[in-house]
Amino acid sequence: MKILQVYRSEPSDDVKTLVGILNRDRDADEFSLNVENPDYDQLVEKVFAADKTVCWW
Amino acid sequence: MAADPNKLAIFVTSPQNMRHVMGIANAAKKAGKTPMIFFTFKSIHLTKDARFADLAEQCGEENLAICADSYTCEGYDSAADIPAGLTANQMRTQAFHGALLDECGKYIVL
Amino acid sequence: MESLKVYILVANRMYCDGVRSGLGLAVENHYAYPVIMNGEFPNFSTYMTENIAWVMDMEGQVYSCGAAAPDNCVDEEGDKLIAEIALNELGEAMRDADFIIPYGLPKQTNEPPPACAE
Repeated sequence: MKILQVYRSEPSDDVKTLVGILNRDRDADEFSLNVENPDYDQLVEKVFAADKTVCWW
Repeated sequence: MAADPNKLAIFVTSPQNMRHVMGIANAAKKAGKTPMIFFTFKSIHLTKDARFADLAEQCGEENLAICADSYTCEGYDSAADIPAGLTANQMRTQAFHGALLDECGKYIVL
Repeated sequence: MESLKVYILVANRMYCDGVRSGLGLAVENHYAYPVIMNGEFPNFSTYMTENIAWVMDMEGQVYSCGAAAPDNCVDEEGDKLIAEIALNELGEAMRDADFIIPYGLPKQTNEPPPACAE
């Protein structure tokens, strides 16, 4: 399974723990929205390439 | 009905992500995908953003809605003050979120 | 229509509306698991308590992660309506989720002032 983790802000320790468990034994990718100019084209590409996307606070 | 693999659900729950909503919706359209968007709870304040009407027009009546109860809870008038770009048909319930889950092959929360 | 497992994570006290959102999915025949993180509980109005009980009736569950389940949200027998779940347990449970929804905003740094604490 391909899982994509997207972050809207700096992930907390709790989020990092949950992501570690969710990504275990999976093909994991990530994307940060917490930048000045996110590459939305790349994000959409990644979302459609993944089986599941989690977009954290 | 099976989920459409080319349809992207955007479930908006935060009032501070309008640039991401616009950016992702535009990028999805550019990639030949169809965004389907639901605004709920405090994100309905984004209906007052100057970019909202344009977003609504791009998505079309079937593919964008807001939670009418949230709109009322936040103090707006869901009968006399329907947001610019929307029709009364787009003042919906949480069932629209259920439709996002059922109809869209991909899903993101903002 | 397939019933989906949906976890709704609430990290900010202002966003316990995530429980209502979960109930909305439950009545659409999905399994809803709203999770209130680190004790960010709402005021348990009759409306909120009824919603939490209704999620359970629809084979979902409201959880507390990172804090003891509150003893002021109970059913008619006095049993707690919110179940406790550890962070690791939550992570393992969510591996089977169809959707994971971090709802609203992240946890606030400061405690709420009296103007909005209640």
